[in-house]
Amino acid sequence: MSISSDVIRGYNDTMILYLLWEKPSYGYEISKQIKLLSKEKYIIKETTLYSAFTRMEKNGYIASFPDQNNATGKRRTYYRITDSGRAYYREKCAEWNLTQEVVGKFIMKGERMNGDN
Amino acid sequence: METIRNYLETMFMNLPSSPEIYRAKNELWQMMEDKYTELLENGKSENEAVGTVIAEFGNLDELAEDLGIAQFLQQESKVPQGKPFPLETVKEYLADKAKNAFYTALGVFFCIISVCGPIFFGALAEYFDADGILGATGGCSLFVLAAVGVGILVYSGVRISKWKNIGQEHYVTDFSTTEYIHQEMEKYKGTHALLLTVGIVLCILSVIPPMIMDEFSAYSEIWDYCSGAFLFLMVGIGVFLIVMSSMKLDSYNTLLRLNQKDTIGGNYVPNQQNAPQYISEGVAVVMSVFWPTVTCLYLIWSFLTFDWWKTWIIWPLAGIIHSVIKNTLKKQG
Repeated sequence: MSISSDVIRGYNDTMILYLLWEKPSYGYEISKQIKLLSKEKYIIKETTLYSAFTRMEKNGYIASFPDQNNATGKRRTYYRITDSGRAYYREKCAEWNLTQEVVGKFIMKGERMNGDN
Repeated sequence: METIRNYLETMFMNLPSSPEIYRAKNELWQMMEDKYTELLENGKSENEAVGTVIAEFGNLDELAEDLGIAQFLQQESKVPQGKPFPLETVKEYLADKAKNAFYTALGVFFCIISVCGPIFFGALAEYFDADGILGATGGCSLFVLAAVGVGILVYSGVRISKWKNIGQEHYVTDFSTTEYIHQEMEKYKGTHALLLTVGIVLCILSVIPPMIMDEFSAYSEIWDYCSGAFLFLMVGIGVFLIVMSSMKLDSYNTLLRLNQKDTIGGNYVPNQQNAPQYISEGVAVVMSVFWPTVTCLYLIWSFLTFDWWKTWIIWPLAGIIHSVIKNTLKKQG
């Protein structure tokens, strides 16, 4: 089954910030990492990714700068995380933990789900 | 690669051209290009790669809010932005216009050389001292040639009228079609430069036959008498080349101007952005006929006086006047 984009929408930012935590990166690299880390269960659309970039940049969570790839020499727009981006990421993580805890209470496990009553 | 480019350009075609939207398009293109390249490196076929990239592109609606283009995306689904102008029609139009450019130029050519008839037969009449029949033939030839010229002009005008709604209705061309027109125009520009140069040179050199033939008049007076005919013949050929080539070039520009100016698709024409906007329609009309008028004045003054050594002053003067008008009457902002 594939993941519903409505559910994951609120967490695209979290994934992007996680990937930018150590070092700056660019569009395709990020989408590739998301695909890789999610074991191809989630493939982010280009428009979704770019929309997240512009929104987070406007909010000051990330900053963009042009840079050249050392290997290929191709110029790309790179993004790096800002301090308020790190703060926002911590918030989102806390929010997720809470969400997971609450929703988790209502998720049936094992045999019980298969029974009719 | 071309397919992806077309896809992206078509998606953005009707959006207003603003820095944010340009940036969005370029960023998305970067990502798509990267993905495409890597898919190919991983051994995917070109078709597979194109399919994957387009399938994973997403939807522009997601960007609507961030880019402030929501109203354009909605508009697009409500009213069509214009009738599509497909590639086959473009080719048909260009071919038709090229033929028409030839006919129009030919008509103008006959009108110009119509005066050669009376001059030539007049010279013969003078030479053989037989004014009657030769003089009459000359007079007739003027009207015959002029009639042929006007006939061709009327024919070409009627012939091209089937395309007249191009300027009136709103048509749009998609990215690959626009690209095709643009390439064709770039290809033609070399030929245009050559034809235009030869045409102008012929017009300028047209004064040479009378000068040379003047010298021949020592051998035979007939050379002197009909030298004017050669002048008009050269001017006729020169004008023919200029008119034909300019009209053909103009047909490319007409097509490239179909897309709305303020959209991404309409930004394709560099000279469209450079075309200055004037404060009123009247000024714009005057300015559009400025150079042809100057050319006419130059030719009339020159041919009437044959003072070629001073008539050239029209050009630098006209240049100064043109830039003064352009800068003072241009619409600001």
